[in-house]
Amino acid sequence: MSRRQPRMTSSGQPIRHTPLGTKMWNYRGYYLMFVPVVLFVIIMHYWPMLGVRFAFYNYRAFGAKTFIGLEHFRTMFGEKGFWTAFKNTLELSIWKLLITTLTAVVASVFLNEMNQMFAKKTLQTVIYLPHFMSWAVVAGIFSMILSPNAANGMVNGMLQDMGLKTQMFLQDKTLWRPIFYIINIWKETGWGTIIFLATLSGVNPELYEAADIDGATRMQKIWYVTVPALANTIVVVLILNLAKVMNLFESVFVLYNSAVMDVSDVISTFIYAKAFAANPNYGYSTAVGLFKSLVGGALVLICNALSKKVRGRGII
Amino acid sequence: MRKFKFSLFDFVNYLIFIVLALLILIPIWKVLVDSFNAVGMYQFQIFPNRPTIDGYRTIFETKALYRPLLNSVITTICGTALGLLLCTLGGYVLAQADMPGRAGLGFFLLFTMIFTGGMIPEYLVMKQLGLVDNMWILVVKHGINVYNIVLMKNFFEGIPESLYEAAKIDGCTPMGIFTKIVLPLSKAALASIGLMFAVAIWNDYTTAKIYITNPDQTNFQYKLRNLVMDGDTPNTSYKVANETLQYAGIICAILPFMIAYPFLQQYFVKGVNIGAVKE
Repeated sequence: MSRRQPRMTSSGQPIRHTPLGTKMWNYRGYYLMFVPVVLFVIIMHYWPMLGVRFAFYNYRAFGAKTFIGLEHFRTMFGEKGFWTAFKNTLELSIWKLLITTLTAVVASVFLNEMNQMFAKKTLQTVIYLPHFMSWAVVAGIFSMILSPNAANGMVNGMLQDMGLKTQMFLQDKTLWRPIFYIINIWKETGWGTIIFLATLSGVNPELYEAADIDGATRMQKIWYVTVPALANTIVVVLILNLAKVMNLFESVFVLYNSAVMDVSDVISTFIYAKAFAANPNYGYSTAVGLFKSLVGGALVLICNALSKKVRGRGII
Repeated sequence: MRKFKFSLFDFVNYLIFIVLALLILIPIWKVLVDSFNAVGMYQFQIFPNRPTIDGYRTIFETKALYRPLLNSVITTICGTALGLLLCTLGGYVLAQADMPGRAGLGFFLLFTMIFTGGMIPEYLVMKQLGLVDNMWILVVKHGINVYNIVLMKNFFEGIPESLYEAAKIDGCTPMGIFTKIVLPLSKAALASIGLMFAVAIWNDYTTAKIYITNPDQTNFQYKLRNLVMDGDTPNTSYKVANETLQYAGIICAILPFMIAYPFLQQYFVKGVNIGAVKE
């Protein structure tokens, strides 16, 4: 009796000849399980995409929608506030990303030097804490600590005790950005160390032993072994976060105010302010939103390509 | 062993980190102490000098304050449940390597990470769905999270197929394999991703700010923001200083995760690592 040999590809894989229809029928249970996901994605994501057409309409709460072509985009590109917001978005996001990544790298390098496990774990627990606070809470805490009123603001109270001038911290154009970065460092540095510490736990100990034999000092070992070991992870973290640059919203929204608009208004807060102003033109806000979405999408695709190059897999 | 050597380097290193830890703890401790303090003052104190629990009592006795707190609890629990349901279903289906149309379904989800309708079109759709001024917006908005579906898919792909092949041959349905074999193997991942959902929903201020104006439907983050920044204190709070009430509100907003987090730290940390260094 001879069994029929299945036909093989050149690499020896049998070619299966299950018709697509049969195959899909076999997977019917899985498709059924996917239905709720598809429904939610359509309702929450795809349906709103249809609304993008309002970017080409005059659309107010009362009155008819009228098609006006690219008029909103002409207004937008001619508006000074829009360009300020766009510039601020890039500046604030990118500086924030660079600063918090740097502090996280430095913190993880030195945490990695601790041999006393209990102390290391306790310190980690403490520095991770602020990550779990919402931006609304963090803004609340800092605006109370930085209150311009020396009677209840901790920092201004201390400045006054030392005989120094009190400051309107969050209302001052020159101080707002540094404070924004400091608050971001306070909130996210600890959490940012997790990924770097994970990388460092995988470094081959032999590298340190070899450096010991060569008589390297502790700082030399950090500089020539630890930091290079992080290079790849740093690049990956920067790429992953670069894709989100346009999304900056909540942290600015809870900390900015009319006095510091020039240095703090970002695209999303700009859209919000336009959309929830008196008698808003939804068409115009949609147009700015479309611009944001297109730039953001381009960034995601660029970062995805970069990520594939650097680590062999994309981010989406 | 080098373990017992304690050099100048170590001394400086620990000292710097202790200072950093204090910089993180002092603001939190100040808020905690002042929430129990009858009179607010700018100095940092280790313990309240005029202890009172009126701040907390006011929160739990004033409907305008405890209602948002209750809404936050409800939406966080329901949203986490919905989020876990959708991301395990989605992740499990997308992890089926041979399924026809898998790439297409994957792209269908991932496209939403590239292009979005934006704030206004989303608002208009939610309005049509009756989700404006409705706390369930918090549940559905967070419930579908494409990024977490991808995380779950990556995790499920790591489960060796041999573990459920036998069940497949025995004619177990996809749902049966999913609930009886795959999910029990994924408890740690479910805990991590569940916590990510819970933190995101509990801490969400933006969604409440954009979609909800009805005070009965809003969440605690939104109410807290009004209380702290806009001084929107309820009328019944005359018996307690505004600062005390504001600080007590902050503590209520951070308390659930501050309590849970030291015990669940490993799951929180794992969540970051499944996402980033899955190699």
